[in-house]
Amino acid sequence: MNTQSMTGQPQGSIPRIRQDLRRHQAVLVAIAVFVGLFGLTNAISPYPLTYFDVSFMASGGMTLALAAMGQTMVILSGGFDLSAGATVSLVNVVLATQMDPADFEANVALWTAIGIGTGMVVGAFNGFFVAVLRLQPIVVTLATMFIVQGLTLLIMDKPGGFVSPSLGGFYLGDAVPNLLPASVLVIGVAVLFWVWLKNTRYGVSLYAVGSDPAAAEASGMRRMLTVFLTYTFAGGFYGLAGVFVSAQTGSGDPLVGNSLLLPMFAAVVIGGTRLGGGRGGLLGTVFGAYILMIVVNMLLTLNISAYYSTIAESCVLLAAVLAGSMSKDSPLAQKLQAAGDYLLARRGGLLVSQREQVDRRLPFSAPAGGARVAQARPASWWKANASTLRYALPAYGALLLVLIVTQVTLGNVFNNFGYWNTLLVLSAFLAILALGQGAVILTGGLDLSVPWTIALSGILVAGVVQGSDVALVYAVPLVLGIAVAIGFLNGLGIVALGLSPIVVTLAMNGLLQGAALLWSDGTPAGFAAPALRWIMTGKLLGVTPVIPLLALFIIGAVLMLGHTAFGRRIYALGNSEEAARLSGVKTGRVLISVYILSALCAALVGILLTGFSGQASLGMGDDYLLPSIAVVVVGGALITGGRGHYMGMFGGALLLTAMQMLLAGTSLPYAFRSVFFGFVILAAVIALRDRKGG
Amino acid sequence: MFNKTLKGAMTAASMLALCAGAATAQDEKHKVFLSMSYIGNDWQAEASNMVKAMAAHESMADKIDLQVQVAGPNAQRQIQQINAMVQSGADAIVVFPISPTALNNVVKNACDKGVIVIAYDGEITEPCAYNVTIDQTEAGKVTAEWLVEEMGGEGKVMLLTGVPGTSVDAARTAAAKEVFEDAGVEVVGEAVGMWSQAVARTELSKLMSTRSWDDIDGLWLQVGCYTANSMQLEAGRSAEELLPCAGEGSNGGRIQMLPAGTEVEGASGAYMPLGARRISYASPPYSGALALKLAVSMLEGAEVSKLTTLPLPVVTSDTVQLCETGSWEEMRDGCNAFLPSIVSNPGWFASIFSSETPEVGLNAALVGQPEL
Repeated sequence: MNTQSMTGQPQGSIPRIRQDLRRHQAVLVAIAVFVGLFGLTNAISPYPLTYFDVSFMASGGMTLALAAMGQTMVILSGGFDLSAGATVSLVNVVLATQMDPADFEANVALWTAIGIGTGMVVGAFNGFFVAVLRLQPIVVTLATMFIVQGLTLLIMDKPGGFVSPSLGGFYLGDAVPNLLPASVLVIGVAVLFWVWLKNTRYGVSLYAVGSDPAAAEASGMRRMLTVFLTYTFAGGFYGLAGVFVSAQTGSGDPLVGNSLLLPMFAAVVIGGTRLGGGRGGLLGTVFGAYILMIVVNMLLTLNISAYYSTIAESCVLLAAVLAGSMSKDSPLAQKLQAAGDYLLARRGGLLVSQREQVDRRLPFSAPAGGARVAQARPASWWKANASTLRYALPAYGALLLVLIVTQVTLGNVFNNFGYWNTLLVLSAFLAILALGQGAVILTGGLDLSVPWTIALSGILVAGVVQGSDVALVYAVPLVLGIAVAIGFLNGLGIVALGLSPIVVTLAMNGLLQGAALLWSDGTPAGFAAPALRWIMTGKLLGVTPVIPLLALFIIGAVLMLGHTAFGRRIYALGNSEEAARLSGVKTGRVLISVYILSALCAALVGILLTGFSGQASLGMGDDYLLPSIAVVVVGGALITGGRGHYMGMFGGALLLTAMQMLLAGTSLPYAFRSVFFGFVILAAVIALRDRKGG
Repeated sequence: MFNKTLKGAMTAASMLALCAGAATAQDEKHKVFLSMSYIGNDWQAEASNMVKAMAAHESMADKIDLQVQVAGPNAQRQIQQINAMVQSGADAIVVFPISPTALNNVVKNACDKGVIVIAYDGEITEPCAYNVTIDQTEAGKVTAEWLVEEMGGEGKVMLLTGVPGTSVDAARTAAAKEVFEDAGVEVVGEAVGMWSQAVARTELSKLMSTRSWDDIDGLWLQVGCYTANSMQLEAGRSAEELLPCAGEGSNGGRIQMLPAGTEVEGASGAYMPLGARRISYASPPYSGALALKLAVSMLEGAEVSKLTTLPLPVVTSDTVQLCETGSWEEMRDGCNAFLPSIVSNPGWFASIFSSETPEVGLNAALVGQPEL
């Protein structure tokens, strides 16, 4: 069924078929990998797989597959949806609390509709802000994620509730006994729905908008409606995933969807959909999801230590993406070709750098002379920095507001040095991460390997120093050296293999997690050196010693991004990689340096966090990934790159920390805080909105 | 040359025979699986060590063949895992349930096939499952009552809760709040501690940014008393001024509870006796080992009640006592804190004693070695 629908009607000529094959290479690779893995599972399994096993595997991967299908639509439109996992949880608790516990024969169609509807409402909420207000999808969905998580906990604060067995009977049962599990049928129907949708006017404009929104609009497509519908449809898929997970578990759990988010992106990418939009499809995603699931099954069958599971998943992710993008004109092939050409040219003595070093400047490019520059009346500082201020100031404005509210509700802010001291110490982590993540975002990338770079660095530093100050002398350089290697590999994967930054850093995160587990054997040992603890918790002339260091860091960061050639190259790259390359920027080198910078910042945070809490723990970096992105965006940077000032990001770090301090001080339930936090992020990006033509 | 080859062949043959022998022996053993959640924290690592030690104990080693699998934080994966275990012929499955409800269907399926499913620490609500757990509501109540009494029945407390959305956190926090409300104690601040000392540090810093330690009379922190004590010392308070704190059962906290000045080998920094006023409790990490023991006794035909409620492992400043070696006998005689020179990690959970499990002591929790 799959190959037929993929290669189209047989009426095309042979080149047409080859073209189609090329176009669907990634999907075909995903299907081939799936079939291969399935065969392998069958081979290593101690007994032949029965219908029951297949049925169970089909339903086991279905929640992920359905949710990832929704995510694929969003990604096809050029967006990114962080609220997907939270929406699955929301639908699960809505069903579990609203169903009548006495009704064992609840109407499957009705409750499925309610679940899908709930998901679509969340999707429409996302869609409104992304499509109508033109806000950056990643921030909108991040805010929605917090809001939905809060709502979920308000509806149900602990696992429980009741989901009628009729739902389970339907979704986990057989469509045709001993032949077709219902879950396969549901996936099939979802895929057919997609095939139909793809060929409607909406489907065509989805791909067009994802490829080039401006061109799509210019050719008369309704961008706004398309994007809005995309998020709404995606919400529907999350809703169906929520219905399925409810049927599968027979109850509600407010945290059930949280762990779906990262595997979802992996499934999308393995299935051949390009991050950034415009290419891919939902069928590949289904296979991507099942590949991930089958890999886990294989690890179970082979009884491989769980320490290796994230490593194996990362390797599958990388291998699948590489295989899907292999071709004559893939970046890797081009890079190899270029390297070959370089060697040839070098041997022939034809390289530019091998020519005589004489001044070849054209007359008009001679320096204009200092005098003329001095004559030109410099624009006022305000005017010259207007756009920077426009994007950086809202964070500080909001910060002032939060401070005033804190003063009014809790007191002890403006007259209390301790408050400022705490604010700066706690902001230091995000401020440092903001430089690394910010530089990556300025180039148009994203570093998802931050959490486990932090954790691995913290664990290494605690484990190596074992509470000795002397050991810091070699432990810190060692950890920073490892960070350089991590960043270099991230950059190399992106530049040389031509993979999406999200894929490379996501895989790196998994590899580092495995490394941290293996190195610490599951329980990190050792503790921070006294000197390190003093920096984070001691007092020097009344302030915590990290604060003057933070001031130096900020000055260095501003100078680096704003006043060095490296900084200018970062912005150039973010605005247009092609233009930067043609202007003589060695883009590859800059990209690699940026990822090294990000890894170094993350490692520094890992070291400081270890000093702050005295020990390192495995999950210590998990709470810093999404905030590190949020502060950069709230600070005025554009998630697609090219725009943003470090002082704005620092303002974002202060704002987020101050707000958390305010919320921690109140006795509001956590659920409300989460909702509130989401709305503030949303408000911040609305304030930063680009007012095109207005 | 020929001799060597012959020798090699003979060795290989004898090894084959040995393997075959081992295989037949294994066939007679009960196949028991352990499905854990996340491996990356102290509690899980200790619990897993104690289960392994229990399985390696001479009374168990020739009865069972234990395989350990880890599901991570993902309930979907645990569902798959348990099913795979049933498929490969498990006799019993010991499980740390990621969700009390999400596993119900797969557990029911396992029960229907005659597999014994026994959960430790968390509960599985499916009626056919066996549960080994402490009463979390009781834990919240007892600790809050102790704190109210320490505070003289009035004053202000700060709370640090666990992971929101989990049954354990909901039960403990609700019970404690009820006690505070009834006693007229005011809750002035509440943050989410995620059961992590690192998070506790960040959250307590936030809570204290607009307050002074003098404004507060007591602390009820599911995890974080150790950190709170360090922070009070850093803020310039003396050991006598430390606030009473109801919280975690980590060894660091237990050492801080010992009278100030007690000679303790390996003490350093805040990991030293301070005479802190504390009540220390935790879900005990031995529950997995006990669950395994119960599962084996069921396989041998014994009757076990569906719900085993463990005694609440509560230690207060009055009952804390240092162990010399950490053997089971020594703990039976009442010791409940371990030398920092042996347990270097202050976050390590000290509630490892059960009168039901003489097979496992300190070495079991540390390195997975059973008692002799």
